[in-house]
Amino acid sequence: MALIPLFIRDRYIVESFIPIVLVYVIYSSSWNLLAYSGQASLGHAAFLGIGGFASALLSSERYWHISPWFCMFLGSAIASGIGFLIGLTCVRLREWFLAMVTFGFAVIAQTVTTALDKSIGGILGFPPEPLVSSPIQLYYVILALTGASVFFIYLIMKSKIGLAFNAIRENEVEAKMMGVNTTKYKLLAFVISTFFAGLAGVLQSQQAAFIDVEVYKAENSFTPLVMSIIGGLGSIEGPIIGSVTIRFIDELLYGVPVIKWIINGVFLVSVVIFLPKGISSLIRKALKRK
Amino acid sequence: MSSVSLFLGALISGVTIGCIYVLLASGLNLIFGVMELVNFAHGQLLMLGAYVCYWISTLLGLNPYIAILVAMAIVPLVGIAVERLCFRPVLGTGKLNEIFVSLGLINIFTYAVVLAWGYNVKIVTSPFDKLSVSVGVISIEFDRIMVIIIVALILVALFVLINKTKIGRAMRATSQNKEAAMLMGININNIYLVSFALGSALAATGGALYAIIYNLHPFMGELITIKAFAIIILGGLGSIRGAVAGGLLFGLAESLAGSFLSPIWEGAVAFAVLIGVLVIRPTGIFGEKGR
Repeated sequence: MALIPLFIRDRYIVESFIPIVLVYVIYSSSWNLLAYSGQASLGHAAFLGIGGFASALLSSERYWHISPWFCMFLGSAIASGIGFLIGLTCVRLREWFLAMVTFGFAVIAQTVTTALDKSIGGILGFPPEPLVSSPIQLYYVILALTGASVFFIYLIMKSKIGLAFNAIRENEVEAKMMGVNTTKYKLLAFVISTFFAGLAGVLQSQQAAFIDVEVYKAENSFTPLVMSIIGGLGSIEGPIIGSVTIRFIDELLYGVPVIKWIINGVFLVSVVIFLPKGISSLIRKALKRK
Repeated sequence: MSSVSLFLGALISGVTIGCIYVLLASGLNLIFGVMELVNFAHGQLLMLGAYVCYWISTLLGLNPYIAILVAMAIVPLVGIAVERLCFRPVLGTGKLNEIFVSLGLINIFTYAVVLAWGYNVKIVTSPFDKLSVSVGVISIEFDRIMVIIIVALILVALFVLINKTKIGRAMRATSQNKEAAMLMGININNIYLVSFALGSALAATGGALYAIIYNLHPFMGELITIKAFAIIILGGLGSIRGAVAGGLLFGLAESLAGSFLSPIWEGAVAFAVLIGVLVIRPTGIFGEKGR
């Protein structure tokens, strides 16, 4: 991946297509980690937006003008802190209530950002302070952060924490009986997941050199879900495969958004029914046979 | 206009929109009560009902109130297909899968309608468009009276069906205990199908009535589904009485609040109330007992 810019001269691929896929890899991996603990968020765009806006505002000249590098972590941490607060409510809820609350939170975040437009400027949108000076540098920054994030999430999923998430997802009552503090672990999943969603928001605004209130739209909340499920729910490679697949479909059907959405829906429904472990389970099977 | 007539006007429009919420929420609750399935794409069935009503009434030049009957016949067929093809295979494999399938269905239905009729807002012209009845200080549009009468009749029929007929008894038995119902010789697969078709018919009626009073567009199902969810969470999951009371109250509150709150807060306020209630009572106000 690091060598791609040396060989491919097409600016669109290097400066736009691959970085966008990489940001989606972080974003859908963060969603996938939360789903790994049995909690499906329908409002992850809230944290994407909070991370992006917080870092853009803190680093802007209008406010504190803090270094964009530090703001990147600050923005993610703020998203994570708000994720903690929402998590406090969500960990006690049944699946569909959790879905509604997270979805609703994205709507609330959007409404509040719109209402505070005088101090945020989110309706018209604005460019955040750039992290680095050239798109190629940004490519390597995003690549490195994606690698680090995926590796970190992988470590969590393979650790004792991941085991607890898995146990909670399979059967919460049983996990509780085995002595797992389910509330603590579910809250932990929220905190970690929303941190990376916030990071994805920062990188997305850097890549686009723009952020506005559209970041909260429902489409952004559903995309990581579709990517994770199609790639393979609960596996580390699932969100990666899913991000690449969905981005390719998006590119192919760029001119016909209506058809794109219908195919997206059919794809999602058929994967859930016929291939519950996603494309990654097919690849694993093929590798085993060899 | 005096403040009394303003208040009464808001009251009437609150009851009308509340009636439509009642249809949607009671259908959702019926399906949940029997199947323990939460269908997030329920609002898209409402949207389909509105479009069938529009389509039949403009294509054949039919009275839209008669077109409602067509919508009530066609949309349950779609509902049955959805239940058999999409929900049946994932039923019992985890609540998350059911949520994912219904999200996929939202996209499929919404954009299939966009493909057929485009993004534009459509209008169904009612034969009683200009008619209104004056009662005391206010005049009430005749269409709104029709909506209230139709919904009241449907609810009476629904209560009779559930409480007095054999199939209603089988539905109640299935919702109480599936294994025991099966042992009593009830084919619960058929009961699922009937419940889903019934819920779809209620949604379709709501959509057609909404189209007659207001207008219709491909995204009309989304915000209204969210409100229906708020209603059933407040009124109690699985309780039809809760859906009726909650729907009317929500419609009234929304209509009365509409006069002094900016419309951009509409969705956010509904959710803030919802989240507030869930913080205090994670199972909703009336809760789910023993589930």
